[in-house]
Amino acid sequence: MFHVGHEKVPMCSGHGPTRRSFLQAGSAGLAALSLPTWMSLESQGAVNLADQKIRNCITIFLVGSPGQVDTWDMKPEAPAQIRGKFTPIDTNVPGIQICEHFPQMARMMDKVALIRSLHHKTGASHENGQRWMMTGHEFNADSMKPHSGSVISKVFGNRGTLPASIVLPGKIGNTGAGPLHGQTAAHLGSAHEPFVLGADPAKSDFKVVDLAPPAGQTEFRLNARRQLLGQIDEVQRKAETEPEAGRDTAYARAFNLLTSPEAKQAFDLTQETPKQQDRYGRNTLGQSCLMARRLVERGCRYVTINHFDTVFNLSCWDMHADGGGLNNTYADYERLLCPQFDWAFTALIDDLEYRGLLKDTVVCVLSEMGRTPTINPRGGRDHHTTAWTNFLCGGSIKGGQAIGSTDKTGSVPQNNPIEPPQVLASIYHAMGIDLETTMMPGPGNRPIRLVEAEPIDQLFG
Amino acid sequence: MEQVFEGTPQAEIRLEGRKLVRGDVTNDWGSQLLWEIRRNGEVVATVPARANNSYEHTDTTPGQYEVVLQMFKYEGYAKDPAGNFTKSKMIEVSNKVGYTVG
Repeated sequence: MFHVGHEKVPMCSGHGPTRRSFLQAGSAGLAALSLPTWMSLESQGAVNLADQKIRNCITIFLVGSPGQVDTWDMKPEAPAQIRGKFTPIDTNVPGIQICEHFPQMARMMDKVALIRSLHHKTGASHENGQRWMMTGHEFNADSMKPHSGSVISKVFGNRGTLPASIVLPGKIGNTGAGPLHGQTAAHLGSAHEPFVLGADPAKSDFKVVDLAPPAGQTEFRLNARRQLLGQIDEVQRKAETEPEAGRDTAYARAFNLLTSPEAKQAFDLTQETPKQQDRYGRNTLGQSCLMARRLVERGCRYVTINHFDTVFNLSCWDMHADGGGLNNTYADYERLLCPQFDWAFTALIDDLEYRGLLKDTVVCVLSEMGRTPTINPRGGRDHHTTAWTNFLCGGSIKGGQAIGSTDKTGSVPQNNPIEPPQVLASIYHAMGIDLETTMMPGPGNRPIRLVEAEPIDQLFG
Repeated sequence: MEQVFEGTPQAEIRLEGRKLVRGDVTNDWGSQLLWEIRRNGEVVATVPARANNSYEHTDTTPGQYEVVLQMFKYEGYAKDPAGNFTKSKMIEVSNKVGYTVG
């Protein structure tokens, strides 16, 4: 057993302390909280396109999936068991109506492009939809595809201190059918795993665990640890295989982030006025949106906001009304979910525009699927993959339009059916990426397209 | 990650003639915001208040009217068999104003 101070450090197969065990020693708070997030990163370099001008992307993922008929594809002429409880309101775009519980969004519909004919042909699990919408690819356990943020990280690299891809506030966890949600870097390597905040920015005691030294730790101690780590790296490098030795860059990156004043500022919401925090909403989604704006403003290329990390035993979009662990109902939509989304989303768009960032930032609102047009006997709606509505704005997206439509019950696309890969292709295109010339390394480093689909022409006017 | 709502929302409301006017909500949770209107102590209307900072209640039924702003306070998603929240509820987040229709 190796010791640092009075702490025991486990040895790694007799070869000496592992980096992780070293870091756990003498800095229990810091390492135990989060350093593994960064210490596991590999030092695979990005393709040298770092100077290429591409726009940012902020994706709000509405985990659980809102019902299209209750939100952005209402059917007021349908029978009561289909049209549901809510009524549509006009927007500032003639001919486009949305749910009454999105009054702020209705005022900025001219910026938003609704896609009302989304569908996919795989099973109606949350995970299938998440993998489609996070990666743009059909799931294949033998050939996992990377999250879109990881693609951006790999192809374009970091811009400044911040990671290229950040997930707020946390990754999607249990949504019922397995642990694979399309949120990993897959074959692109761990250096391109999204940085996960792992904390609720709406909490008054919020701090980024990767960035905040525990009480008693100082910058000096961190820097001293970095120097000591460097010495251990030098010793251990001799005992490691080449790929493992390549992790040094990731360690350095981790420490750069830990000690970077810019990174700390980016995550520090106390630098926003209370009025600004109120405008986004003092809740997890609102403060995540505010943080997303701060992150893209400071160099992060791709922020993913997961509205929820599960669909069980909490208020979320998964409106089964089952009386048990999936008991979301119209009450959740009316009282909490729609108002909260409306407030946060519109604050983000207003703020980005005010700061001149909207033209350089694509904002996407995505979900796994839609919900059954017919209300179930308990008053909820269940999973439905053959029609749902998502939307984009910002970047080069032409707002003020609804692309595609569904039949009179919102069951299936009536015209211009759109599949998830087309949405991902459109996001990349809206970010300024030429899909014909920009490739990413595939398995075996063979260059492949970012996604096997073409952008949706109508989105770009 | 269950959502946590900290702080207490607060807003000032006032009457301008019969028009109700509200200031911005501090510590705004971003959840549903309603004008609750009572006549002679009975709730006669709840009206969405988030989209606009003012509202004029057009009901001229005689009586003593009292108005307050309410916001939804989420304290868990438990529901009754009818699908309504049992722990989470609307709470008052403003002063009250009143007027009389003769």
